[in-house]
Parts: sequence; C-alpha cells; structure tokens
Amino acid sequence: MASKSTVEVFTRKGVDEKVAKLLVENGYTYTKVARANEKTLRKIEKILGERKLKRVLNAIKTKERAPKKKAQKPLKKPKITKKEIPTKIEPLRPIETKMMTMLEKSGRTLPRAVLRDLATRLERVKMPDKLLRQVLDLACERFEGHVIDPNESVGIIAAQSIGEPGTQMTMRTFHYAGVAEMNVTLGLPRLIEIVDARRVPSTPIMEIHLEEDVRNDLDKVREIASDIERTTVIDIADVETDISNMEVMVRLDKRKMERKGLSPIEVHKKLSKAKGLKGLADLRDENVVVRCDEPSYKKLLRLSEDTKSTPIKGIEGIHRAVIRKVGGSYIIYTEGSNLEKVLEQKHVDKSRTTTNSIMEIHEVLGIEAARNSIINEASKTLEEQGLTVDIRHIMLVSDLMTNDGDVKAIGRHGISGRKSSVLARAAFEITSAHLLRAGMTGETDSLEGVVENIIVGQPVTVGTGAVNLVWSPAKKGGQEK
Amino acid sequence: MRYTRFERARIVGARALQISMGAPILVDVPDDLIDPIEISIMEYNEDVIPMTVKREG
Repeated sequence: MASKSTVEVFTRKGVDEKVAKLLVENGYTYTKVARANEKTLRKIEKILGERKLKRVLNAIKTKERAPKKKAQKPLKKPKITKKEIPTKIEPLRPIETKMMTMLEKSGRTLPRAVLRDLATRLERVKMPDKLLRQVLDLACERFEGHVIDPNESVGIIAAQSIGEPGTQMTMRTFHYAGVAEMNVTLGLPRLIEIVDARRVPSTPIMEIHLEEDVRNDLDKVREIASDIERTTVIDIADVETDISNMEVMVRLDKRKMERKGLSPIEVHKKLSKAKGLKGLADLRDENVVVRCDEPSYKKLLRLSEDTKSTPIKGIEGIHRAVIRKVGGSYIIYTEGSNLEKVLEQKHVDKSRTTTNSIMEIHEVLGIEAARNSIINEASKTLEEQGLTVDIRHIMLVSDLMTNDGDVKAIGRHGISGRKSSVLARAAFEITSAHLLRAGMTGETDSLEGVVENIIVGQPVTVGTGAVNLVWSPAKKGGQEK
Repeated sequence: MRYTRFERARIVGARALQISMGAPILVDVPDDLIDPIEISIMEYNEDVIPMTVKREG
C-alpha cells in the first residue's frame, strides 16, 4: 500500500516515523486515530503499547503542524550558452577612425553620433585630407556653438519648451486610424499619462513585429494573430442554459471555430480545466455540455457565466488583434497589452515588438528601456500634433523620471513630492504641513536647490549665481588664463 | 580658459562694483566714459581683471 502521504500526516504532527508506519500498516489513518473512541484506542494500544500511544495522542493534540516538506529538487546548474551580447554600437568605419585620429591631433572631440552622421554623408565622397580637416573644423565649431553652458538652468527651459506647445494641444483628441479603427489616446491626455507614469495607459496598444520568414505570409500572420488574441467561449459559441436538464449547453459555431483554428475537443479540454468548471464539462456530439452538479439554479447561473468567460486561446489582456500591412510586411496591432507573454510567442520579433505601456516595458525590459520608451512615446505624441519639441528636453524629463531605477511621476507623488529638501517640498504644496513635519522630526536642509536659496534670500545655484570668483592678482594683461 | 556667459556676467559685475566704489582702473579710459559697467566690460575685453572663477567638479 502506497501510504507515504498518510504516514506524512503523522510525521508532520511530530509522530515518530516508525510508529506512524506501524499505524498505517494496521489500517489507521490520522483521522481515524484522532477521532478514535475508547474501543479503537484500546486496539491501537495493543499494537503500539501504552507509552507510545500516549506519545502519539499528545502529538496529535498539539495544534502545530510542521511545515509540509517539499521534496527539494537539486538545483539545476544553469546552462549558459555563449551568446553574443547585442550592442548598439557598430564597429567604427575606416573613415570614422580617420576622423577620430584627426580630431585627436587637433585636440578636439566630437560625439560618436555626430561622427557617424558625418561619416554616412562623406563615405562615398572622395576628398583630400585637407578638405576633410576643414569639414571637421567646421563641424566642431558648429557643435561647440550648440553645446549648452555649464550652470544653465536646463530644467526650466525644458519645462517651458514642453509646456508651451502643450497649451496648443487639443484637450481631447480621439483618433480612429486607418481601417483597423483602433481607438488611441493621443494629444494632451496621452502626454499627461506619460508624465504621470500611470500603471496602465487608458488605451494600451502593442505593435507586434514578426520574424522575417513569416512576416509576408498572410495566412501565417493570421494564425499568429489568433494565437495572441484572447478568445473566450462566447466568441466561438452560443451558450444556452438548460433549466430542465440542469446543464449549460455550449453550441459551438463551426465557422468561427475554423477561423480560430479550434476543435471541439480542445474547447472541451479547456472548459473542463477552467476555474469553477473542473470536470463538469462533457463532449456531446459536436458540442460541449457543462453539467451542474448541484440542484441549485444559482449554481447553474454561475456556471453559465463562468462558461461564457472561459478563455480558450490567446494571451491575457489582449482583447483584439488587428493585422495591418506596413511597408510591405504585416504587423499585428493589438488592443490591450501584455509584453511579457507576447515576447514568449513564436515568430515574434523580440527586438522590434513594442507596447505603449511604459510600466510594462519597465517590468519586462528594465529601466533603460523604460527611459527610451518615455522619450519615444512623448515625442511621438507631440509630433502627431504637429508640434516640434527638441528631443533633449524630453530626454531630460525622461532621465529625471527614471534616474533612481524605477519610473517616478512628475508631480506630487513623484519627483516634486519626494525631494529631499524640506523647503523645496514646502514651496511646492501644502507648505505648513511639510514645515511642521520637518520641525517635529528635526530635518536639515542643505540649501542646494534653487527654491531653498530663494526662500532664504541667497543667490541661487544656477546661472550667474553658481559662479565662484577668486581673486587672482598675479594676472597681468595678455597673460594666458 | 574660456568663460561661459554666466561667468562673464559675474566677473564683469563684480569688477563694476569695485570700480563704482573707487577701485583703480586698469585700462586707459576716455574721459567721458564714467559708467562703471562699461569700464568693467572694457577691462574684461582687455583681460586685465584680477579675478578668475573657481570651477568645481
């Protein structure tokens, strides 16, 4: 008799294993012993002896149970396959190295991105070195002209540069794009959503790109889309409640089933495993029937509701998948978003598939991806409204939101509300409460920010105020500084 | 060393204050030029102001 679990019930209560085995072999389970009357107890006593019986009974009386021992699997050694880490930086082109050495000689620097841009323009142009040097000189000059001065109050400029076009945005824009007619939040509401770092956007949307070998095959793309789109029973069948027979009839729609690539057997399998319907589903002819196991109309009604909403196929959270042809190949757009699960799907191009839910990107891909996604989403929304905001302003906002490893909102619950300086927080909102609290807890303020210094009447730490002068009398006119 | 526009403003301003309070002028100035700020700017252009900035970080 395989009674390992029966023995375990005893041992978990602190009964000696040998004794427990003996009991089980004689046909006593834990409940039998625990609820034993005088007669059975005497029988057990015969088997075990008085002392052991007492110990067993004591053990059973104690309420505590040892935690269930789980058979510990030896940890698998993780298999590490050597894979090339994808880098965004392409190797230097010959012309780039040439330019680099040239710049080094003249003691100047240009960022890699600028060099790359220059290189792509100049790659096929034959030019003497002297001319190239001139080009570089000019590029350097232009570049230095655009570099922002240290101590410039970039935050204020960024706030103004985003705020002003914001006033021109339409308050409420609903946009039905293309044939798919998907509802997308755009304009000011979307921008607010991004900046507030909402957990779920009001219209989550995914853009699923596919791998090269399938992206032009419409049938295959349809198949993938139907694997992604959430299909519930009600989408493929009529659900009827049969009161006289106390059962829920699921009349499967053949056409719809075919389109989704489902068979009645699969539906039956899913239904019989579904929550609240375990083992109640039966396959009858081409249809599925869910029997009600209790003579209760309430239960029957609940079964019917549960049946209707049972997911058969697809990924949780994705309500609709739409296929659109963009630039020669098919892309799946979805209403609803679940990046983690979608990336696990076959044939999904993991490097290009995106979602507009920034939090999801943060959870699945990390903070750097979230930062990029904030930048992309914000500049996309602004661009769609025909407003051009320099990307650096948005980058600053995005950096500020993500710099401590999670995505913080701008505003009361985010950056402004969590500043370390009391005076800065007090200047932002609910002044007295902040000051009172700070007074009670004895906070210190190191007067590093702008607001704090304005409050105490000192020069602020940006711009001219941040410059420290030193007396240098040795300097004479014309001397190199 | 090249100054940023903030540093320039600060140096010129500090020097103008000194001049306004009677500090000896370090450049030759036409007689009708009496504005300390103008004088300070001239000094700055001549690079004779005995001040420099301390840059941190």
